[in-house]
Amino acid sequence: MGSLKRKSEGEEASSESLPQKQHKGDGSVMADEAVGCVHEVSYPDGYVPSTSSTVPADSKPAKEFPFTLDPFQSEAIKCLDNGQSVMVSAHTSAGKTVVALYAIAMSLRNNQRVIYTSPIKALSNQKYREFKEEFSDVGLMTGDVTIDPNASCLVMTTEIWRSMQYKGSEVVREVAWIVFDEVHYMRDRERGVVWEESIVMAPKNSRFVFLSATVPNAKEFADWVAKVHKQPCHIVYTDYRPTPLQHYIFPAGGDGLFLVVDEKGKFREDSFQKALNALVPTSESNKKRDNGKSQKGLVMGKVSEQSDIFKLVKMIIQRQYDPVIIFSFSKRECEFLAMQMAKMDLNDDDEKGNIETIFWSAMDMLSDDDKKLPQVSNMLPLLKRGIGVHHSGLLPILKEVIEILFQEGLIKCLFATETFSIGLNMPAKTVVFTNVRKFDGDKFRWISSGEYIQMSGRAGRRGIDARGICILMVDERMEPSTAKTMLKGNADSLNSAFHLSYNMLLNQLCCEDADPESMLRNSFYQFQADRAIPDLEKQIKALEEERDSMIIEEEDSLKNYYNLIRQYKSLKNDVRDIVFSPKYCLPYMKSGRPLCIQCIDDEKSPSFSIEDHVTWGVLMDFHRVKSVVEDDASRRPEDASYGLDILTRCAVSKDGLGKKKIKIVPLKEPGEPLVVSVPLSQVISLSSARLNIPKDLLPLEARENALKKLLEFISRYANGMPLEPEEMNIQSNSYKKAVRRLEALENLFEKHEIAKSPLIEQKLKVLNGKEELTAKIRSIKKTMRSSTALAFKDELKARKRVLRRLGYITSDDVVELKGKVACEISSADELTLTELMFSGIFKDVKAEEMVSLLSCLVWQEKLQDAAKPREELELLFTQLQDTARRIAKVQLECKVQIDVESFVSSFRPDIMEAVYAWAKGSKFYEIMEITQVFEGSLIRAIRRLEEVLQQLISAAKSIGETELESKFEEAVSKIKRDIVFAASLYL
Amino acid sequence: MRGLQLPLNQTQRIRLQRALEKLHSLSSKANSDASVTVADTIPVNYDDAFLKGHGTTELNGELVATVCGVVERVNKLVYVRALRARYKPEVGDIVVGRVVEVAQKRWRLEINFSQDAVLMLSSMNMPDGIQRRRTALDELNMRSIFEENDVVCAEVRNFHHDGSVQLQARSQKYGKLEKGQLLIIDPYLVKKSKQHFHYLEQFGIDLILGRNGFIWVGEHVEARDGMIVDQANNSEQSTVEKDQAYTPLEMRQNICRIANAVRVLSTLGFNVDADLIIETAELSSSLNIDIHDMLGSEFHVLVAEREAERRSLMTKRKR
Repeated sequence: MGSLKRKSEGEEASSESLPQKQHKGDGSVMADEAVGCVHEVSYPDGYVPSTSSTVPADSKPAKEFPFTLDPFQSEAIKCLDNGQSVMVSAHTSAGKTVVALYAIAMSLRNNQRVIYTSPIKALSNQKYREFKEEFSDVGLMTGDVTIDPNASCLVMTTEIWRSMQYKGSEVVREVAWIVFDEVHYMRDRERGVVWEESIVMAPKNSRFVFLSATVPNAKEFADWVAKVHKQPCHIVYTDYRPTPLQHYIFPAGGDGLFLVVDEKGKFREDSFQKALNALVPTSESNKKRDNGKSQKGLVMGKVSEQSDIFKLVKMIIQRQYDPVIIFSFSKRECEFLAMQMAKMDLNDDDEKGNIETIFWSAMDMLSDDDKKLPQVSNMLPLLKRGIGVHHSGLLPILKEVIEILFQEGLIKCLFATETFSIGLNMPAKTVVFTNVRKFDGDKFRWISSGEYIQMSGRAGRRGIDARGICILMVDERMEPSTAKTMLKGNADSLNSAFHLSYNMLLNQLCCEDADPESMLRNSFYQFQADRAIPDLEKQIKALEEERDSMIIEEEDSLKNYYNLIRQYKSLKNDVRDIVFSPKYCLPYMKSGRPLCIQCIDDEKSPSFSIEDHVTWGVLMDFHRVKSVVEDDASRRPEDASYGLDILTRCAVSKDGLGKKKIKIVPLKEPGEPLVVSVPLSQVISLSSARLNIPKDLLPLEARENALKKLLEFISRYANGMPLEPEEMNIQSNSYKKAVRRLEALENLFEKHEIAKSPLIEQKLKVLNGKEELTAKIRSIKKTMRSSTALAFKDELKARKRVLRRLGYITSDDVVELKGKVACEISSADELTLTELMFSGIFKDVKAEEMVSLLSCLVWQEKLQDAAKPREELELLFTQLQDTARRIAKVQLECKVQIDVESFVSSFRPDIMEAVYAWAKGSKFYEIMEITQVFEGSLIRAIRRLEEVLQQLISAAKSIGETELESKFEEAVSKIKRDIVFAASLYL
Repeated sequence: MRGLQLPLNQTQRIRLQRALEKLHSLSSKANSDASVTVADTIPVNYDDAFLKGHGTTELNGELVATVCGVVERVNKLVYVRALRARYKPEVGDIVVGRVVEVAQKRWRLEINFSQDAVLMLSSMNMPDGIQRRRTALDELNMRSIFEENDVVCAEVRNFHHDGSVQLQARSQKYGKLEKGQLLIIDPYLVKKSKQHFHYLEQFGIDLILGRNGFIWVGEHVEARDGMIVDQANNSEQSTVEKDQAYTPLEMRQNICRIANAVRVLSTLGFNVDADLIIETAELSSSLNIDIHDMLGSEFHVLVAEREAERRSLMTKRKR
C-alpha cells in the first residue's frame, strides 16, 4: 500500500516542537505540509501549551496496524497520543477509521470510556460489528436496539448521545474520547443541529475525534471546537486518494466513453467537446422537462433499441470495469433501471449457488409469510445474475444482504441511491452517475461538487484497482465550466444548519446548568457569524473608499436629474404594463400589425437617455406560454404568459458551443430576417395599421420582402401611426394618473439645466455606479447588524412566548408539567404530541387506533394518491389536524415564522390504514397490499413509531397516568413483531 | 394560624391574624375549593376524556383523591398536589441530602423521600477530574469522597422500576457541602425555580434550596472544582462544629442570620425563595434584631405583616 508518502524524520521533529512556534495572532500555526496531508492546530485564546506530554515518547502505541500508515493517519494518531482532539478530513476511502480504531484502543488501554457516534442506525450496526470483532468490550445503542450499554466502547447514533447528555448518565462522566464519524452531517438541514448540541454539551474534560469528508473549512470547525471546549484541536486534512480517479462522460444516445479528467486531475477540454457533440439531440427534450419526471432521457422513447444504461453496463462488463455502482437519485428509478438489466447475467453457476445460500440463510429469520413478500422473492433472481438494488425503500434485511453480497464481490452491478455513498467502506471499481441533475425538493439542479466527491469516493478499490473510474451520463448540454466545477470543484463547506426546536429549548431549560442562550452563543452558527464580521467590515471599507473616490461635478443637480430619469422610467413602465396587459392589447394582436419593440442589450448596462432603443417588427402570431422555461434567462417568468412571434431583423451569431445566439437589431443594420418569439413585455407600441404579409414565410426572399414593406411603412409614417391608448379603450384610473404624472415629468426634463450639459451620458453612468455601491454598502451593513446580535435571539424569544402561552413554562422560565412531557418527546413533533396527550384523545381510543394516529406524526413522505383512511381514523386525523392548526396559530401569534397550512399538512394520514392493520395483527404482506409505499419506508416509520411510543411511556409515567402508560405499552407489544423489528444482520 | 406554635401576646396575635387574613384574601380564589383530603371525590366531567395523574384513582366510577392536597388541572389532566407530605422527587430536581450509608459502588442518601436515594459512584465526578471508568480502587476510596453524615447536593436523575430514585452530580458544583447549616423544612415550601443555587454576595454565603426541603446555608465556595481541597479537609470531621475554626465569626453570624430567616419563613408557611430570604434577613439587620431574637414572636409578626403588604402591592401593580 501507499507507503511512499512517509515523511522524513526531520519533519517529524519539527512538528514536535510545534507549540513553541505558536503565533500570537489567531493562535494557530501551520505545522508542516507533508506530501498529501496538511496538519494545523487551533488553540483556544490564552492557551498555554504544556511542555510535558501526557504520554512518554517511548511508550508503546495503543494499537499497531499490520500495514504502513498513510501520513495523515500517523499524523492524526500522534495527536491522539498527545491526548489532544483531532479533526480528520479526508475522502471516504482514505481510511479514516484507522484513527477511530486507535482512539478506541487507547481509551480501552487507559480504562476510559469511548463513544463512537454515527449519523445512521445502519452504519452504527455495521461499526458495532466491526469494533466488536476487534475489541470485544463494545456496546451498541440505537433507537432500535441496546446491547451491553455498560461496555467501555459504546457505538450509538448522535441523537442517542445527545439525549444521554441531556438526561445525564454515568457514561457522560466516564467518557474520555468521543468519536464523531461523518461529522459533515452537521450541515444537514434537519438533523445537523444535533451534532452542534452534542459537541457544545460534551463533557468539559473529554477529547474528540472528528472524522469528516473533505471540507474546505475544517480549520474553522476546529477553531470553534477549540473555543467552545478551551482545548487545542488539530486538523489533519488530506485530498489524497489511495486510488486515483478517471472521470469519463457517457453522452446519452452515444456509444462511447470520453475521458474528461484524467488521473492527474487534468480537465480535457477537447474530449469534453467531443463528448457533447456525440450527444444525440433528443426530440422530446422539451417534453421531458415539462413532466419533470426523473427518468428523463434515459429510457424514454427508446423502447425499440437498447437503453443507454444497458449499453453502458454492457460496455463496463466487456472492459472489465466491474464491480460497478450506479447512482441515481430516486428509488423508483433505481428499480426501474435494474429491471432493464433483466437480460444480463453476470455471474457463473458457482457464484449463483453462493448467493442463494447467503440469501436464504439471511432470510431464515423471517417467517414463511414474509419470505413470500414480493420484494424478497423478486430480488433473488436479480441478485443471482449479479445485479443488486440498494435504496432506503428496501426491507432493511434485504439491504443488508445486498451489502454483504456486494462486499463479497458477488454483485457486479449495483443500482443505488445516494445513501450508499455514506458510511462503511464498500468500494467498487467503477461508479456511474445516471443523472447530472438532482431534484432537491424545489427544483432540478446540477449535482454539487461535494456530492460528486462523496459519491465518486466509492470508485476504486484500494490495493486492487490501479485507478477508479467515474462515468457521468450526460443527457443535456452543459457548459465546460459547469462540468469542471462539478468534476473538479471543491468539497462543500461545513456550514452550520443550526435551528431551534422546542424540545431543545425545554431540555436546556430543565437543566440547572444549561440555558438556551449559552447554547446559542456557543453554536457553530454563531461562531461562523461572528467570524464573518471582520470580513464584512473590510468589504464595507473597500466599497466606501471606492465610492468616495468617484468624483462627479455638479453632483447634486446631476443626482436630481438621475432621480427624475428613474422615476420617469418606472412610470413609463407602469403605463406600458397597463396598456399591454393581455386584457387590453390582445384584441389588437393580429398578424401583419407592425409593432415597436425594445432591443435588449446583452450587457445589462442601463441606459440613461429618455429614448429607448427600439426597432420595428411585424407581428405574425401570438401564443400562450404555458410553463416557464428555466434556462432562458432573458425571458422573465412574470411576463412570459404570452409570447409573440415577430418577424424582424436579427443578428445571428454562433458562440463556442455552436449554440445559436439571436439578437434583435435595428432594421437597417445587417442581419437576417427571422421570426423570433418575444415576450409581451418587450413591446413598446402597436401600430394602428396592418401590413399585408404573405402566409408562407419559409423562403428567405419572402421574409426579406416583408421586412422591406415594413421599412417602407416606417419611412412613410415616422412614428408608425401608433395605436393610441384611447383607441384601445383603456379606462383605468391608475392609467390616467400615471399618464398625467408622466407628462409633468417630461416638462421637468425640458427645464432641467443639466440636461443640456455635455457628456451627460457618461456622468450618469458614473453616478449610477455610485448609487449601486451605496445600496450594496447598506445591505452589507444590515447583515452585519443582524449577525452581531445573538443569532436566533428573536426566534428564541418568540418560541419561549409560545411555550408560555401553551403552559409549558412559567413566566420565570421554569418548566411545568407539560414542558416535562414535551422534553421526553424527540422523535416527533413535541408540541403537537404533548397537546394531543393532554387533550385526552389517547384515553378514548383503542390502542390500534392510537398507533394509527401516531403514524401521522412519523410519516413524512408524500403520497400523491393515497386512499383516505376509514371514518374512525379519519375522525382522529381531523382531531390531530385541529390540534396542529391551533398550535401553529399560537406560534404565528407569538411571531414564530411558520406557515400554518403547511405545518398542518406536514402530518400525513397516508399510512394510517396500514399501521392500523399492522397493530391489529395483520401479516406484513397483507399491509403491503393496502398501501403503495416502499416496504423499507414503512418499516422505518413503524420503528420510529415505536420510538415515539417509548417516549410517550416515560411521559405518561412522569404525569402519573398509569392507565395510559399501560396502553402505550400494549401498543408497543402490538407493533413490535416479525419482519418490522427483525434484528440487523450485523448484530 | 393552625399549627403555628408561637408564644404570642394579645396585640401580636391580632396583628398576625390580620396579616394572615389579608394574605388569605389575596391568594388566588380559583384553588380555594380545590383542596381535598384522602377519598374525597374530585369533580370531573365524566363524559369527556380526562387523564388522572398523581394522587388520584378511580373508585366505583368516581375519581377520588389518594392524598391530601390541592387539585390541579392541566388541560384534561387532573392530579392532586400533596402538601405537607414527604418529598416526591421529579427528574431534574436539585436536592440536598445526607449520606446514611456507603454501600457497594453507591451512597445512600436521606432526602425525605419514602426511600433512600441512591448516588452511584459512577454518577460522581472523580476527585482527579479525569474522565475515566471507576476502578476497584476508587470503590475502596469512596469514603474519601463522602462518608456517613456528609451533606451532599445532587440532581434527581431517574427512577428505577421499584420507584427508588437515583441521583447524579452533573458538574463540579454538586457534591459535598461544608461549613454551613442544613435546615429541614416542608418540601412544598420550596417551589421549583430557574435557580436553586444562590450566591448571596452581600453575605458571602451559598444558599442551596433543595427541592426536598433540605436547605443549605454555607460559606461561599469558589467554583467547586477544587475537589482536592475537599480531600485535604477530609482528615477533619466535616461536621459544622469542627469546621468552625476555619470560618470567621462574621461569616458564622451571617450563616445563622440567613438560616433563621429561612426558619421564620418556614414557620409562617411562606414559600421560601432567595429574594424573600434576603429580604427577611435584611429586615432583621435593619431593625437591629439579634440573630437569636429572629426566632421570637415579634419578628414573625413583622415578617408576616411585611409579606402581606408586599403581596398586596404586587396584586395592585398587576391590576
